[in-house]
Amino acid sequence: MSRSGFPSGLAAALPIVLGYLPIAFSFGVAATQTGFTPVEATALSLLIYAGASQFLALALLSSGAPVLITAVTLIAMNLRHLVYGPALMKAAGDDASTRRVWAWGFGLTDEVFGQALGALARGQRFSESYMFGLGLPAYAAWVGGTAIGALAGGSALDGSPAIGAALGFMLPALFLALLLSLIARPQVPVIVVAATVTIAGTFAISGTAGILAGIAAGAAAGVIRR
Amino acid sequence: MNTDLLIVAVLAGLANYAFRVLPTRMGSSALPQTGPLARFLAATGPAAIATLFVASILPALSLVPREIATLAIGVASVVAIYFISRSVVAATLAGSVAYGLAVYLLG
Repeated sequence: MSRSGFPSGLAAALPIVLGYLPIAFSFGVAATQTGFTPVEATALSLLIYAGASQFLALALLSSGAPVLITAVTLIAMNLRHLVYGPALMKAAGDDASTRRVWAWGFGLTDEVFGQALGALARGQRFSESYMFGLGLPAYAAWVGGTAIGALAGGSALDGSPAIGAALGFMLPALFLALLLSLIARPQVPVIVVAATVTIAGTFAISGTAGILAGIAAGAAAGVIRR
Repeated sequence: MNTDLLIVAVLAGLANYAFRVLPTRMGSSALPQTGPLARFLAATGPAAIATLFVASILPALSLVPREIATLAIGVASVVAIYFISRSVVAATLAGSVAYGLAVYLLG
């Protein structure tokens, strides 16, 4: 088995970079369409660095949801990241090392985790240098793509409705793909409850209420199931 | 800078940092394997993502056949490419391109 270093990580990051750039661009466009400045949009990507919850932040903040409820909802949404590090260290086996995790750990997104775990499953040995190589370009692409999208602004796509539609569909496509990657048989009731309550809450009260109630009901369904 | 946005970004960012770094340092024994907390942790991610998918797709739902067709093409492309490639990024990009092409061709 080969131990991979920084250059191998950089090479493995290319598909993530190519994927992050357009998604981050569409986040930047969406943020400016929502009324945030390019600096604010870029700050969200720089500080949070979690795509799905950043789109949720836009929806909640622009609808006037209270700050603490918005923050708690975003935090709850990212609880899934708790299991990534331990799962990666378990897969790394005897090569597991966390001496510099304080520096590369923030880059452990869904896609970086998936790519690193896949490399270990293919027989590659774990190294923290590889994690740096994998994480840095992905983070740069996310923050840079957001800045470019925010500077281009919402009107940049007025003359290209098909491209605008494609970028607009990137968000549901991202959520659907993430959902497919997370689906396991025990989570099916969680997903059904969350989806049903979201629809009911949206039509009965508001879009924000539907989102908050959907997440809460789905998580509760997961705790209750035996 | 919008103060509300800054507070949300800092709190969510600090939590993300803690979620990604601290359990990694503590290793695979850091989290409960069974019990209500383990089930809550396992359910929150899928619940949130399912909610956000539904919330993001609701405004696009329509009774116009052309719009139903473009949406179906986008969703089917995401599902197909995910099961072929097992890549979230590839499926997202493919679904987005397919949806844009469908809007261009049917629109």
